[in-house]
Amino acid sequence: MSETPPSSPPGTRWGLKTKLILSMLFVGVIPLVVGLGMAFRQGSQEIQEVSGESFAALATEASRKLDLLVSEEVARTSRIATDPVIIRELEQRRDTLHIQPSTERQATLERHAALWQAKDPAFVKTVTDNSMARLLREYYVGSHSETDQLLPTVVRAATKMLFITDLDGALVAAMSSKPAISHSTQAWWQGAYHKGVGQLYIEDVSFDQAVDSYVFTLSMPIMDSLRYEVVGVLHRVIDAKEFFSPSTHPIRFGKTGHVMLIDSRGIVISCPILPTGVSLSDMSLVPLVTLPHPGWVAASSDGHGDTSTSIIGFAPLAETSRATNGSLEGGSWHTFVWQSSDELFAPIRHLFTWMTAFGVIAVGLLATLGFLAASRIVTPVRQLQAAAQSIGRGELRTPIQIQTGDELEDLANEFNRMNTQLEAAFAGLTDQVTLKTQEVQYLQQSTDQILDTVPTPILLINGQEIVQYVNRAARETFNIQPEQLAVTPLFMLLPLDPATQKKLRQEFHNNGSAASAQDDVSRSTLLRDPLTPSMKQGPSPHRSELQIGPHLYHYQWFRLPGWSGNHGRIGLVLRDTTDESRLQDQLVQAEKSGSLGVLTAGIGHELNNPLFGIVGLGEAIQEEPDLQRVKTYARDIVAQGHRMASIIRDFTGVTTREVSDQRVPVYLEQALDQALATMQTTTDMKGIVVQKAYAGNTRVLALPDQLQQALSNLLTNAVQAMKGTGMLKLATTLSNQLVTATITDSGPGISKQHLSKIFDPFFTTKGQGEGSGLGLTVARRILRKFGGDVRIESLEGQGTTCLVTLPILAAPPEEGPWTASTSHSEPQPSRSS
Amino acid sequence: MDRFHFALRAATLTLLLGWLWMGAAPPFAKEQTSMPGIPPEKVADYVHAVLEADRTIYTTHIVNRMQEKGIVAAAEHWEQENALLLPAQFLQHSGRLVAESGRGIRYRLIGLSPIYQRNAPATDFERKALETLRQQPERPVTGMVASGKKQYFQAIYPDRAVSAACVNCHNSHHLSPKRDFKLNEVMGGIAITIPLD
Repeated sequence: MSETPPSSPPGTRWGLKTKLILSMLFVGVIPLVVGLGMAFRQGSQEIQEVSGESFAALATEASRKLDLLVSEEVARTSRIATDPVIIRELEQRRDTLHIQPSTERQATLERHAALWQAKDPAFVKTVTDNSMARLLREYYVGSHSETDQLLPTVVRAATKMLFITDLDGALVAAMSSKPAISHSTQAWWQGAYHKGVGQLYIEDVSFDQAVDSYVFTLSMPIMDSLRYEVVGVLHRVIDAKEFFSPSTHPIRFGKTGHVMLIDSRGIVISCPILPTGVSLSDMSLVPLVTLPHPGWVAASSDGHGDTSTSIIGFAPLAETSRATNGSLEGGSWHTFVWQSSDELFAPIRHLFTWMTAFGVIAVGLLATLGFLAASRIVTPVRQLQAAAQSIGRGELRTPIQIQTGDELEDLANEFNRMNTQLEAAFAGLTDQVTLKTQEVQYLQQSTDQILDTVPTPILLINGQEIVQYVNRAARETFNIQPEQLAVTPLFMLLPLDPATQKKLRQEFHNNGSAASAQDDVSRSTLLRDPLTPSMKQGPSPHRSELQIGPHLYHYQWFRLPGWSGNHGRIGLVLRDTTDESRLQDQLVQAEKSGSLGVLTAGIGHELNNPLFGIVGLGEAIQEEPDLQRVKTYARDIVAQGHRMASIIRDFTGVTTREVSDQRVPVYLEQALDQALATMQTTTDMKGIVVQKAYAGNTRVLALPDQLQQALSNLLTNAVQAMKGTGMLKLATTLSNQLVTATITDSGPGISKQHLSKIFDPFFTTKGQGEGSGLGLTVARRILRKFGGDVRIESLEGQGTTCLVTLPILAAPPEEGPWTASTSHSEPQPSRSS
Repeated sequence: MDRFHFALRAATLTLLLGWLWMGAAPPFAKEQTSMPGIPPEKVADYVHAVLEADRTIYTTHIVNRMQEKGIVAAAEHWEQENALLLPAQFLQHSGRLVAESGRGIRYRLIGLSPIYQRNAPATDFERKALETLRQQPERPVTGMVASGKKQYFQAIYPDRAVSAACVNCHNSHHLSPKRDFKLNEVMGGIAITIPLD
């Protein structure tokens, strides 16, 4: 498992295992990181949205609650403002003032202001202890109210001042001496009076010196009994913090989440954390959260001094805002719901932390599992690799054992099968090689033995003239030691004279041209007449002979083609022809004397018969008295004499005419015709049909008389064989420098036993005195002299064919084609010529 | 746009009332002149006709159409919600504008079951008038009233639920004391007040 394959040095490339582990890590980690990131992002966003929505809802709810709180307070104030006593008092005051001139009204105001300033007890009493002031106090403590309309304790405590002004803004009734005497220039007064129409005026929070607190004011116009016009203004100064904190402060969530109330300027009216009257720390937040409708915003600060991203829910106090500073445009109040972003995002941060922790664990697990998985995958792969290497070296002996139950196991099985098949194939191959080697060895041995039994010396020489092999005959003949082989050049082994050596070397370096020349000769004689014995070829001009010591050798080169990169070798075969020549000479001599003996015996036998006749007839004449009978005897003697002369002529015809040797071009067909014509004059040929098929005028070089003699002999045999009736076919055919004249008869043919003897001198199948037995002998001798030959083909009972071959002379002047002709010749008595 | 509209309406009313004032005032101010005057009943009638016409046009041709086409709805908190004024608010606000103009004539919507207490009848006269109108809505209730030494002519005209929006709002508002209003029912009245001195 930990071993590194030899083919992969560590560091240069990554192994399969590393790659697998890395792949698994990548496959695991990237989606994990992406998933974590997206989950965090999505989670944050959703938390923002969910929190935002909740905050907005909370802000809306809180704003409704506060709105109701303010509305209730407005309603309570309204009850005071609609008190008939107060209205009547103020109507009377209006009516009084109405009739006063403006200067007098002004003077009275200034006088009252001075008195109030000086805290004149009498004047103060007129303000703080008149019927209206008493009523105010009653309302304040609740003695004048119904049970359900009592001012709640909190509200009572929060109400810092409560007073009434007349329609000139002058203080007419107050619970204490704290309020100023004239208010006609105050914004709240002008807002509430509103040109006599009157409207609710809720003033934004501000610091009031008189009560030493941040307050908001609630100014209610006091309308006349018809609600036609303003006759006075009821003014309440309420401590903002005291008033709102019981409603806003209990709304807390988490550690930092809370609700606060701000006005449209961003001034805090009530907040559990910030003091009332301060601005939000980030004024850029104000336009975001003072929208006229509820909502939430992800702002870059929280307004409480922190500049981290904050989710802020907000909602306007719809009803209250209508009256703030006289109208909606004059300002509005908003709830502001906020939670520290640290706290807000703590769950997602915790989640992220945990997810990161689990992610790390998961990566660790991935790496471990990846390592295990990779090991499981890689180990069999490495086994396979090692096995493949073993198979490559041919060393795998035991089958690969992989039991993974998957493709790798299949692969291993395939490897095993492949290995088995390879082994089988190799085993078969080895057997075959052994067998072939044995065959080769056997062949070599056989060849050696054969070559050794051949009596002719055979040598094999390589291109450097070094003798590489000699057979036993050569070893013994030239006395060659085995150690000389393969080192000794050819010409050091063979004791040759320099001239022969030079000739041989030349032939050798022509790669045995003599051998090929020999081949050419053999090829040229392929078409020679089969009747011509090779002996009669005469000595070849290329005859390769060597005189080594007392022996004469006929030698022949032969080439052994090269094999598989080896250069070819040249073989030399030497045939000892010393004895052969001597034997042949003896044979020729024996034949010669044999022939002479036969000839002599034949001549003697032939001549003896007529001679005995002549002697017998002579003796009869000596004793014969009758002359007539003597004459008859004498005639017979003459006849016998003629016969003897004819025998002698035949004999001389064979021998004497050989002397003249004036060969001239002769037309073979003409010679045949002439021989036939001569025959027809002497022989009865009436019953014989002659058929001619000539190839043309074929010129041959010959002695015309002798050629005609030879052809006559052949024709005579044919005609005689047919015994007066039959068909004689004469034909010439040309082939490759040779002309063949065919004489075919329809006679009885020649038996096999006679066929081999028909060319022997004096052999004849004819009766005594009919033929000398020399006709074919003579014919053959003549034709062979002209370079041709004669051959007899015959089947018993089917006629005989005589084939005459002669070499063709150079082309003669064209005389037109010969046409075959058929004629009947006169029948003539059969006679031998 | 609305403001301009109201301003225009107010200007028209002002002109009319100004002329009335000039016409009506002389008998009190200069008793020796004898220019013929218009009785306050008639003035109130004129004003009411204009008010009714304006509000009807606003209700049927603006609010209803806008709501039907889904362009913009009418809502109580129209400032915050970027909506149209309710027809009742239309009348109240125009009355406010008229009052702010300081011409003297004022009108407002009153009811026996108001959503806001400020719209309840201010006087016994008003209450009784509303009760009368609930029974006999055919004619307005008129009369002379006084605030201290000030004399006023007041005419209370019946105000019917002219559209479904009126009924729905009053029946569903959390502050509404009565939730069984029906279409075309007399929900309250338009109180027109004209000072006499």
